[in-house]
Amino acid sequence: MEYYAQFMQQLVNYQYELNRYISTTIRSLNDENSLSTSLVILGIAFIYGLVHAIGPGHGKALVALYFTSNKSDYKKAFKMGYMISIIHALSALIFTFGIFFILKTMFRQNFNQFSDIAMQISAIMIISVGLYLIYEAYKSRKEKEKKLIKSNKSETAVAFSAGIVPCPGVMTIVLFCIVLGHHTLAILSAISMSIGMGLTISVAGILSIAFNKKAGSFMDGKTYILEMIGGSLVLLLGTFLFLGTMR
Amino acid sequence: MKKYFIYLLFATVLIAHPHTFIDVYPTINVENGKAKTIKFKWKIDDMTSSILILDVDTNGDGKINSKENQFIKDNYFTVFEDYHFYTYIRVNGKVIPFPKTKKFQASIENYRVCYTFEIEGDFDMKKTVIEVGDTDFYVAMVIKQEFLNISGAKATATGVDNDFYYGYKVEFK
Repeated sequence: MEYYAQFMQQLVNYQYELNRYISTTIRSLNDENSLSTSLVILGIAFIYGLVHAIGPGHGKALVALYFTSNKSDYKKAFKMGYMISIIHALSALIFTFGIFFILKTMFRQNFNQFSDIAMQISAIMIISVGLYLIYEAYKSRKEKEKKLIKSNKSETAVAFSAGIVPCPGVMTIVLFCIVLGHHTLAILSAISMSIGMGLTISVAGILSIAFNKKAGSFMDGKTYILEMIGGSLVLLLGTFLFLGTMR
Repeated sequence: MKKYFIYLLFATVLIAHPHTFIDVYPTINVENGKAKTIKFKWKIDDMTSSILILDVDTNGDGKINSKENQFIKDNYFTVFEDYHFYTYIRVNGKVIPFPKTKKFQASIENYRVCYTFEIEGDFDMKKTVIEVGDTDFYVAMVIKQEFLNISGAKATATGVDNDFYYGYKVEFK
């Protein structure tokens, strides 16, 4: 696990540098260099999102566990990753613009309060998805062919569960741009950062599907065991998240 | 395999990646191997500072007056007590209770909100290690060698991995 720790530490260092670079670049934005600098900012925001989402959180565990318990193709992993990132971006934009323009003061405290509520909703949704997956796995033992018919519904639920909690990283960039008067850049930065995060989340899903395919062939017809384990872990994940918000 | 999978899951649940970055500048005057005071200066990253400034610089003059300073202390600084001020003083390897903070002063320097404060004690610096880090991994506390302002002793700042969070430590010779 030493390499994992070093890798995570390096990720923090990259984010430290990217955070400084992005704020300096946004501050340097003026009328003369607006297009070129804006493009640079969007490029950095994309990389920042990509690196930021490699760290813990952002629903990667949920997506990975979901695809462990659901047979899917790689396209679905991309779809799921981008659904999460779109909801993530929208949630961050609504929260940030809402708190900034409606509540106006005590941004940080309001943010923490709303974030806790969003986290609780997310946890309850994840618990529901876990229960649903366990139920589906149980049912699939008897009716295998019907199993994937309802999977679109659960995919949307997974995407909402993971995406509804606004990313503080996105919110910070959005707010920073608003404070400096760059409203359009605020929205575009959120989208760009979310595309980066979506790519990382998709990769988590793809790896999980690849694992599922190998394990599925190995388990030869007893994939419902894997599905049960995946569903139970999703349930456990939701329960831990919910308990975490109660601290 | 199963062990690592569960470890990864729990690690994911328990920690979040950093969203705020704080540069920590310790100032220590060591005399005869001991120090009575350790002064810290936290420089909060530019983007987080911009959010804080919205809340705390109520008259918008880009400076922190005494009323605003008190407001920051009461609403934004004292809460760090619950988080041990993200700072762990180890004496002979054991973390000691964090001394009461004194002389808190907030300021804005080059768009960044800074907190300055002191702690007092009778620190035998050869037996003392200062560690910074957020166990929740929400805040990244950073001490680089060039941030150190130590007189009367040699000190080195290095990164430290504490399993569930990452931080920095300052050791003295």
